[in-house]
Amino acid sequence: MTRLLSRLFIGLPLLVLLIGCHSDDKPAAAAAAETSQHVTDDLGHSLTIPAHPRRIMSLAASMTEMLYAVADTATIIARTQVCDFPAAALRKPVINSYPLDLEGLVALHPDVVFTVEGITSLDDIARLEKLGIPVYCQRYTKVTDIMRGLTDLGRLLGRAPQAHKITDSLAAKLKTLEQEVAVSATRPRVLAITWQDPIYVYGENTLFTDRIRLAGGQNAVTEHFPQPYPALTREYILKLNPDVLIGGSFGKLDSTFFKNYPELKRIKAYQNRRVYGITGSLMERPSPRVVEAVRELQHLLRMP
Amino acid sequence: MTRRAVPWILASLALMVLLVVLGLRIGSFATDYAFIAHTLLHYTPADPVQLALVELRLPRIVMALLAGAGLAVSGYLMQAMVNNALADPYLLGTASGASLGAILCYSLLTTLTVGGVYLPPVAALVGALVTTLIVVALGSQRGQLIPGQLLLAGVAISSLTAALGGLLTFMSSSEGKLRTVVFWAMGSFERAGWDVLPYPAGALAAALVLLVFLQKDLNVLLLGEERAQTLGVHVARTRWILVVTAATLTGCVVALCGPVGFVGLMIPHLTRWLLGVTGKANLLFCALLGADFLLGCDLLARLLYPPAGLPVGLITALFGVPFFVYLLRKKRVTL
Repeated sequence: MTRLLSRLFIGLPLLVLLIGCHSDDKPAAAAAAETSQHVTDDLGHSLTIPAHPRRIMSLAASMTEMLYAVADTATIIARTQVCDFPAAALRKPVINSYPLDLEGLVALHPDVVFTVEGITSLDDIARLEKLGIPVYCQRYTKVTDIMRGLTDLGRLLGRAPQAHKITDSLAAKLKTLEQEVAVSATRPRVLAITWQDPIYVYGENTLFTDRIRLAGGQNAVTEHFPQPYPALTREYILKLNPDVLIGGSFGKLDSTFFKNYPELKRIKAYQNRRVYGITGSLMERPSPRVVEAVRELQHLLRMP
Repeated sequence: MTRRAVPWILASLALMVLLVVLGLRIGSFATDYAFIAHTLLHYTPADPVQLALVELRLPRIVMALLAGAGLAVSGYLMQAMVNNALADPYLLGTASGASLGAILCYSLLTTLTVGGVYLPPVAALVGALVTTLIVVALGSQRGQLIPGQLLLAGVAISSLTAALGGLLTFMSSSEGKLRTVVFWAMGSFERAGWDVLPYPAGALAAALVLLVFLQKDLNVLLLGEERAQTLGVHVARTRWILVVTAATLTGCVVALCGPVGFVGLMIPHLTRWLLGVTGKANLLFCALLGADFLLGCDLLARLLYPPAGLPVGLITALFGVPFFVYLLRKKRVTL
């Protein structure tokens, strides 16, 4: 009898609790749906993030620039060791992105982490998601992808009006730039190198192709390679014979690149001294500074 | 030269001619045999296609031939020295030492060219020779090289230099530097030029001339240390000459092409299989076969993945690993 009573004492409250939970199920699910959003990123991954993320961060320098353009900057909780723009980002705590400081990142409790395809490994993304941190990844191959990326970020962060304002402004400026170069008859063929040994270049399937087109030139690499930044031989570059070479000033490349590969002094770019350096962060990052990047390229192409 | 060796040597020379001609045709510019012949007879540097043929394709081919011959001969010498068919030129830590030198250069220096000298090959050569010296010092007692001790010292020092190289790579500040190091470690002839070819060519020629005089001692040593001593071979002195020659040859090749593996393991073995353990023309045939093999691998690398080509070390490994497993399983070779 005593045993039966004690079981009732323990069992009844549990039963009540279970019934209570069951009766509250539908409103709880509805509330969760209101406070979260199901989204699919550019890589096709489905993820659930809060409807109004309050703690966000990026694992790529370009993405940090994107977030600073769209998000409420107070919600950005950290940056990586390579995020150096805008200056305000430098005041945020640093989370190492390579190798990924997983513990430091988890300790910051981000609602969502944003990154760019190719910057954060799929393995790191999977590990973060296992730890309950959703990772939203964007992909950019054309300048319009940057606009779409900004729009998507605005929608996800509840900042659609701000995002539209920026994309409208960028689109208008880019249109003006495009109209300026449309009148010029010739489009110089530009080869942009990312590394000298071995020689890696910006391939056809990179953002550079679209940027140089907007600036009035064309990417000298027209062949499609599986990698966005293919390694090229000296013979291939001799055959390309680009009009312009981007990768460093004439003086700098003359004492390094062309010293190591003297055969390449035959290319038109060297013969006509059309060898230029460019701001690294503008060239490498798909960011809202795309207009500045195109302007810089346009300026170089206009140089005699 | 024995009667048995002559047809093999002629066959390897014929194969070499065939591979060289094929190699001259592979590239970004389309070239036919008539154009190649015209270029070789009436070279006009102003023509970019002719320039590519003479300044890019030809030195690459010669580099592959020299590297193949150099590594094969080094492997032959190392196998004779330790009297073990599983020995290779990298036994003395030469490859890992060269890698450490190159990585130091790529990771720490902001400019890789000083006074017109491209530093990575220089650093790689210094790394190769310093590491080899340490291994040899640890592997010798009272001026005598002890093969077993040398082997273990090579393994230990190679691990240490590989770990240091790994640390520097890990600490590397840029993805580009990382790619350079990884690419270098897989071996390539893309940087070949006429200006650097005299070094491996000189080292190979000197080694072959020296070994003509040592051929008899070398063959006797291959039969075992005890027998060699009984037959009057000065084992200690011969071993020192073999180590210094092999290290210099390997150092020159690795410094310029990166650590290309398995040539020095496979080719000496094939040589002995075809011509016998004590054939008089073994070293010459070993050099020719190594040259053919590495040039063939480079052509395959360029054909499979144009324009840059796969790293040649990947192709040699594709052939070398099954061969190594075969040696282990079938021949029951012991360390």
